[in-house]
Amino acid sequence: MISLIGFLSLCLSTFFSFLILLPKSIININVKYLFLFLKTSTFLICISFLSLVIAYINSDFSNFNVFQNSHSEKPLIYKISGTWGNHEGSILLWLCMISIYGFLYSLTSRSLDNFKINVIKIQNAIFLIFAFFIIFTSNPFLVNTVEVKEGLGLNPILQDPALAIHPPMLYLGYVGFSLVFSLGVASLLNNNDNKSWIAETKKWSIISWTFLTSGIALGSYWAYYELGWGGWWFWDPVENISLMPWIVGLALVHSLIMIRGEQAIERWIVFLSILCFSLSVLGTFLVRSGILTSVHSFASDASRGLFILLIFFLTTGFGFLVFLIKSPTKKNNLNLLLINKTSALIINNILMIIAMLTILLGTIYPIIIEVLTNTRISVGGPYFNSTVLPILLPGFLLMSIAPVLSWQSNKIKKFKVYVLFFLILSCLVSIYSYFTNFNIWGFLGIILGLWIILASILSIILRYKFLISFSYLKSINSFIAHIGVGVMIIGITFSSVYQNEYSFNISLGDEINIDNNMLKLENIKIVEEKNYQSLKAAFSLTKKNEIIGHIFPAKNYYPVSKMITTEAGIYHDWLKDIYITLGNEENNIWSIKVYLNPLVSFIWIGVFIMVFSGFVAVFKK
Amino acid sequence: MMKFRLFFKILLYFLFLFNSNGVLSNDKLDDKIKKLTLELRCMTCQNQSIYDSDSEFAQDIKNIIKEKIKEGLSEKEIKFFLTERYGEYILFKPYFSIKNLLLWLFPFILLVFSIGFFIKSSKKN
Repeated sequence: MISLIGFLSLCLSTFFSFLILLPKSIININVKYLFLFLKTSTFLICISFLSLVIAYINSDFSNFNVFQNSHSEKPLIYKISGTWGNHEGSILLWLCMISIYGFLYSLTSRSLDNFKINVIKIQNAIFLIFAFFIIFTSNPFLVNTVEVKEGLGLNPILQDPALAIHPPMLYLGYVGFSLVFSLGVASLLNNNDNKSWIAETKKWSIISWTFLTSGIALGSYWAYYELGWGGWWFWDPVENISLMPWIVGLALVHSLIMIRGEQAIERWIVFLSILCFSLSVLGTFLVRSGILTSVHSFASDASRGLFILLIFFLTTGFGFLVFLIKSPTKKNNLNLLLINKTSALIINNILMIIAMLTILLGTIYPIIIEVLTNTRISVGGPYFNSTVLPILLPGFLLMSIAPVLSWQSNKIKKFKVYVLFFLILSCLVSIYSYFTNFNIWGFLGIILGLWIILASILSIILRYKFLISFSYLKSINSFIAHIGVGVMIIGITFSSVYQNEYSFNISLGDEINIDNNMLKLENIKIVEEKNYQSLKAAFSLTKKNEIIGHIFPAKNYYPVSKMITTEAGIYHDWLKDIYITLGNEENNIWSIKVYLNPLVSFIWIGVFIMVFSGFVAVFKK
Repeated sequence: MMKFRLFFKILLYFLFLFNSNGVLSNDKLDDKIKKLTLELRCMTCQNQSIYDSDSEFAQDIKNIIKEKIKEGLSEKEIKFFLTERYGEYILFKPYFSIKNLLLWLFPFILLVFSIGFFIKSSKKN
């Protein structure tokens, strides 16, 4: 019953969306009715999605999708998150968000009606394409032909709080770029000189970028404690795919700052807007079609892959076609000096695009080679580390001073102060690395991170009077974001370069010494949880005869899917994480791995600062 | 102006430093193994390096590498030995060969072109 409601409202919503798209020559719809149709379509698609959620909550196994991906004994939160833990449900969520973004845009936009209608029409065209995709290839409301009492269960590694909210966050980012795409294309079709689309693009691209950032960070944090390898970024194809629209989105957000009425930059912004969404769709295609081998792959299906490829060519083709046809009417040169703000932003944009293209090439290169020569190669972390990082390096260096550069001249105010501080910093870091074990990456990372933070703080102090107010926060917002990046770079450097790893074989009651902390295996027992059995070890951590914490690494066995997952036990400290994974047992002797990850918390703090400044930037004019 | 030139010189110096392996040559045995195994794919896992993996395959490879290093083989020779056995798929960082020319040169060419473009357009002003 509930599935029927869901499917019907999906179809009806598609129908209303189709009505919006009808050209004026066929039927002349009053603007008032157009917005009414839009609201109805959004309302219906939300009903459709909610009915799927309800089917999951009630464990309604007459729905084939629920039967395949759920189980009645799961905790409630994972029943809900199971809705988007599979291909069909996640695409429905995606569709729902496309509509909601369009709806929110129509509510908040103060543009002229003509422009607004164009944006909504393009957004609805995207909606329609994806709606057809769902109805014809990925319907989540199919009826289960046999009567069953129990479902097949959700993949255990997805049963995790961080991963429950990771997909919605990520999709809010990806899908948000569909609105940015619509805005960009609509601005090309726009014939008058109204520039309100720039402010709107800025707002929506920052919102999408912020969601995408938090989505990626959540996934990365999940990988950190769930996969049990002590790392948090693996240059996995799916990670790369999420990184590409992220980088282009970042370039877009930065280009929007430098717009001062130059046609060239307006064109560039539109180009980036189209590119951003194209990359999101391309990413969806690569993940859902099963072309890439990755830890994240959904169950794949060739016909779906083909359909998404079609969507990709339709949206990208349409976007770039309009982009090419509508050539600029007037040309004015950019005010480029060797080092002023415009040129710094252009360098930053160029570097980001090159980094993105490198990631794209590295990700699809194995496929190209396999098709052409029938040999398999891998392109992984080491390749990206030795290409992408050096490309981004000058960008990071520029970042520290970019916000204080001037628009018109190539002079930096109080240049000497910056040089002085940079020299002092370099000396200190050199001395520090001389006394610890010297590593070129470590040295570079520390100096870069610290310099970005220091230069940003310096700029804030030199330029703005301190005030406790929101407008003060808004004016120093770009510096705050850059401080976040600096903090993150320090975290990344320390946790990857100075990570220590120990392997032990220990039995109950044994004590081991790790970095002046005593780690003792207190007990190991099997705990029965709601839908899994957990083998939990308890370690106590003592420092100077005082217990400072307990660590519980575990292995969970899920009887429904007959899978074992490892849960790393982590002791969080501001300055370091002690990270334990449980291995195998032989004669009551357990093999364990202990990682000492210094400053790993800085990565998450840095991301948090960036996301925070993203939200502040939404309110900035 | 001079200061910026100096700044870029230092930058270039750093970039060269990266690409030379000379800095890392006096590492200990464990570090050598770590560095090498991080660049190898565990063929029985999904997108995991030999270093990160605990699978039997990864253990075997780790032991082979340890022996080979003790025999005095260089990193290059060990990689060559492994690719002879398992194919190039095992390398996370593919060889610089004709087949992979595009992969390795593409970022570099892009960089050179865009620097050229940038200098040209800033000279106009």
